[in-house]
Amino acid sequence: MSALEELTRLAALAVGVGALVAGALVLVRTRRPSVALPVLLELLLAAGLLRLAGDPSWGTIATVAALVLLRRLIGAGLRAGDRSLFPRTAQAGRGSAGPGS
Amino acid sequence: MEELLAGVVNVLVVIVEACGAAVIIIGAVWAFARFVWVGFTQRTTAAFVPVRLTLGRFLALGLEFQLASDVLRTAVAPSWEELGKLAAVAAIRTALNYFLEKEIDSERREIEAEQERRSASSTDRPGHPG
Repeated sequence: MSALEELTRLAALAVGVGALVAGALVLVRTRRPSVALPVLLELLLAAGLLRLAGDPSWGTIATVAALVLLRRLIGAGLRAGDRSLFPRTAQAGRGSAGPGS
Repeated sequence: MEELLAGVVNVLVVIVEACGAAVIIIGAVWAFARFVWVGFTQRTTAAFVPVRLTLGRFLALGLEFQLASDVLRTAVAPSWEELGKLAAVAAIRTALNYFLEKEIDSERREIEAEQERRSASSTDRPGHPG
């Protein structure tokens, strides 16, 4: 079990770094935090799930639970903010026209 | 007999948990590559949604494997400490699976609605020759 734990711990670290890189890249390219943050949180969640493999400590369990809650909270907040910033008509068109264009 | 059962269950738990971890790692690596590719080749926000949906599906599948390993672990009688951890981890995974499924469903419906709007606007557009 320890080999699996070690492997998943390293993979979680790599996925966490990848999450930061991908999130930053999406933010730079789209200039929309509401698009970049879900990308970051989704990949961070994958890293968190990898940390739960094996026999996690109470601290790890609490961290992952907090991450899941935070992800839900930020996601709901961003969606609400997006709806008020970009009304329905604008949302229909924003897929084809990027913010930079 | 009980020791034999515990040994078999422990081996199965490791195999199933490794499968779940492999699915999550493959999904994360694939999604990272796609995010980078889409980020460099396209600037549209809509291009990232299918990648996120597929990553969500990978995570949900990995979670199913991990939940299966949790169920297997209950086959051997653990201590209260282990049982508490197992309950907490299973609760997190179950809640996450539920929310992921809901998210995937709502995003898929949004994409379908947008496609319908686009096809409706293209057929309604006047000025077709002939």
